[in-house]
Amino acid sequence: MIRHIVRKEFMDVVRDGRFRWCAALVGALLLVSLGTGWVQSRNAQKELAAAQATARDHWESQGEKNPHSAAHYGVYAFKPRLALSFVDEGVDPYTGTSVFLEAHRQNDFLLRPAQDATPAQRIGALTAAQVLQHLVPLLIILLTFGALAGERERGTLRQLLATGIGRLELAMGKALGVAAALALLLVPAAVVGAAAIVVGSPGPATSPLVRGAVLAGIYLAYFATFIGLSLAVSARAPSARTALVVLLAVWVVNGLVAPRVAVDFSKWLYPTPSAVEFAHNLEQEMADGVEGVDRPDRAAVTQNLLAQYNLENVEDLPINAIGVFLQESEKFGNQIFDRNYGALWDTFERQGYVHEALAVTAPLLAVRTLSMGLAGTDVEQHRHFAIAAEEYRRDLVERLNGDLTENSRTGEVYLATADFWSQMPPFRYDAPEVSWVLKNRVLSLLMLGLWLAAAFVAATYAVRRAEVA
Amino acid sequence: MQTKTTKTILLNEWRLLAADRTLRIVLPLFVVLFAYALANGMAWVRFQEHTVQVVRDGNVQRTDALERDLTAIENGGQPSSPFRDPRSANVMGGPRGARSVALDPGPLTALAVGQSDLLPYYYDVSIYTNESTFLQNGEVENPLNLMVGRFDLAFVAVYLLPLLVLAMSFNVLSGEREQGTLALTLSQPVSARRFVTVKLAFRALLVMAAAVGVSLAGILISGGFGSSGPLGRVLLWCAALTVYALFWFSLTAWINSLGRSSSWNATVLVGAWLVLVVVLPAAINIAAGLLHPLPSRVEMITAQREASNDAVNRRSELLARYLEDHPELAGGGDADEPNRAALAWAATDAVNRRLEAVSERHRMGRDEQNDLVRRYRFLSPALLVQELLIDAAGTGDARFARFQSQVRAFAGQWQSFFVPAILAGEKMSADVLPTLPDFNFVDESLGDVGQRATVPLSALIILVGLVGVGAWVGLGRVRGAG
Repeated sequence: MIRHIVRKEFMDVVRDGRFRWCAALVGALLLVSLGTGWVQSRNAQKELAAAQATARDHWESQGEKNPHSAAHYGVYAFKPRLALSFVDEGVDPYTGTSVFLEAHRQNDFLLRPAQDATPAQRIGALTAAQVLQHLVPLLIILLTFGALAGERERGTLRQLLATGIGRLELAMGKALGVAAALALLLVPAAVVGAAAIVVGSPGPATSPLVRGAVLAGIYLAYFATFIGLSLAVSARAPSARTALVVLLAVWVVNGLVAPRVAVDFSKWLYPTPSAVEFAHNLEQEMADGVEGVDRPDRAAVTQNLLAQYNLENVEDLPINAIGVFLQESEKFGNQIFDRNYGALWDTFERQGYVHEALAVTAPLLAVRTLSMGLAGTDVEQHRHFAIAAEEYRRDLVERLNGDLTENSRTGEVYLATADFWSQMPPFRYDAPEVSWVLKNRVLSLLMLGLWLAAAFVAATYAVRRAEVA
Repeated sequence: MQTKTTKTILLNEWRLLAADRTLRIVLPLFVVLFAYALANGMAWVRFQEHTVQVVRDGNVQRTDALERDLTAIENGGQPSSPFRDPRSANVMGGPRGARSVALDPGPLTALAVGQSDLLPYYYDVSIYTNESTFLQNGEVENPLNLMVGRFDLAFVAVYLLPLLVLAMSFNVLSGEREQGTLALTLSQPVSARRFVTVKLAFRALLVMAAAVGVSLAGILISGGFGSSGPLGRVLLWCAALTVYALFWFSLTAWINSLGRSSSWNATVLVGAWLVLVVVLPAAINIAAGLLHPLPSRVEMITAQREASNDAVNRRSELLARYLEDHPELAGGGDADEPNRAALAWAATDAVNRRLEAVSERHRMGRDEQNDLVRRYRFLSPALLVQELLIDAAGTGDARFARFQSQVRAFAGQWQSFFVPAILAGEKMSADVLPTLPDFNFVDESLGDVGQRATVPLSALIILVGLVGVGAWVGLGRVRGAG
């Protein structure tokens, strides 16, 4: 019996001209956004990889130079695009793409693409993720708002139940029918997406494919939530029209109101400093140190060394005291940077939790977080890259200071040879594993699970109690 | 007779609306949303105003520090290091004496945050200011929050206000027909045109009273209206808001005139909202990204690198050429024995010239792309009104571009002040401090804003006109007994 319901619902939907138009529109937007996203992210990745290679070239070909001059000369790191960023560009347009790694300081990421775009591009950026998060739920609402309310209005609900089919079975049939119709749209998109991952990935595509598979599961849970909610409303609403109005209100709150309210809440609960105050504070701490973290004193460092080697004169030291002092200063600076940047990133993280917690009011907030996380375009993974770049900077500067310390004496003019620079390891970045992403996003997983369960319970409850006429 | 009928319709309308439960919920809900949005915007303005103050205080502190050091040195003290000696022109004009310049928040930022959370509104200007200075980020902000955008009045106006209009009037005529009251009403000496117009005008008044009222309240509270500039902006803001609401009212009138059922009207109107406010802007962005991709900034980094490598290797040559180009700056400096600061400056200047070329190319590409994208906005009234609103608020990109170009000019002035001294190896004293160039932002005149607004506002008005004509013709065909 349930098979008949599914089939009838499916045929109803597919034969409906309105569905065809809407589905064609959403499907076209989905495929086009996947396609353009893929092309753009591939081009961007090529450019970033080329820029990274050029940066390395510049580094290796700097010629004879004092290692500390080389540390000032520095090197640029460019944030690569991950394989799945074409599905969801996430916060990428709003984070910088490049960071300058040099002696003495941790720099900010520069070049936010959004700064160059028009304001219109800001309100309506469309990626495959946007279609999946906003437009597909709308399509689901249009397909299901009349599923039970409409049958009741036409008087066919009584007939249907008279055939002896259980209410839950009926509702399940309706849900599966709608799901089958949606599959016409989503399966091709998923195939195209998977193909794009395989073709677009520079290395072995397993990790992106795993990420993609989990991503698909997340979206399916999101759609199932909407189907359940729509059925519940359709079962309880006095008329199909009321069902539609209620569901549209849910859609507006979910997609438009809740996300922006989450921004305000996160800022009220965890305010960020202004850029000038942040810089000023950093400068202050770099100059004066903070409790427990003292700025190294050059004379004291030299005295220590002399005591260690049991010598009287700096010139007699077998190593370069300036190199040791420079490295001490680095260590001091790194602690200050960790304090300041760490606090800022932690604030961002807490703000992110506010967005996640407010998923109680809107499942979109959970899905969006998970989607960006799996696509590798969320704030956390930006931080992951920033940390990797900063660790590379610290390692590089330490190696350079080490070379200065080991291979020269204090006060001596020392130049490292031209082939020295290529002995420094190049910057390499490994994106985190799926498990790392999911571990960070437990709250969102929980929220989405809750929504799915709530939708299921609501649908069951509402269908059991639905009025027949 | 005519005015009497109008009065009767208005009176009945008032009774109807007062008795309507949905409206009693929806209208106050919108007032709450407006007020919330406003409170949000005002908090942002307070943050920006505080920040601008901190930035400007920095100038005073730096000048005081320089003055202290200079006086101490005059009295026989020693600078802490030659690189921090404030008597050197490249120190006083460099980061130690940098002049921070800040842009006050746009006059109506409380109403529309616009681009003000994304674009930088303060810079440190020194002799080392160059194109890479303008690559810097704006305010410290969570990228996630930047991506989502703020809940300000402009957001409520663009996205939610149309929904209020639709909820209030989707069945303005069809409802009467379905209740059977239309035939009765039209049997009176009143035309369907007049009937619908009066009903909608009344509702429009309510909506606009709420929207404009909250806007004006916000401007009053945040102490706008001070000078004449904001007044013009306020008028433009209200005009844009009104025309946009009128667009949605005329659309409902048109759809109602087609004589279909209330639920058909509701479906079509919500569909129109979706297409015009959500789908079209998105589709336009896809098209823009595909047809006119933004030129990338990444090449600027590479170019900067190559330029500075090149320049460092050719310092002496560059200085000689620089002095050849600017003999008036040669001053006491001897081209055969240039000082270190002069050599460094020659290299800096060469890098800056190269960067300017790259940056100029990038800017042209970006402006071209932005102009093309801007053309598409005529397809969606939502995009048109969004641009009008943030431009009226002073948080659109035009005002930021203006700020940036004035900062660029000021940086030029700053350099012209210090470079001759650097090249001549002249020493600075405390007397110089009060004579340093000052930055004064010349804000947009009302004319500038009005000029930019003319085309989008006219387009919006024409759109309202077209839809209104459709409604007018359609309503002319409505018969009570239909």
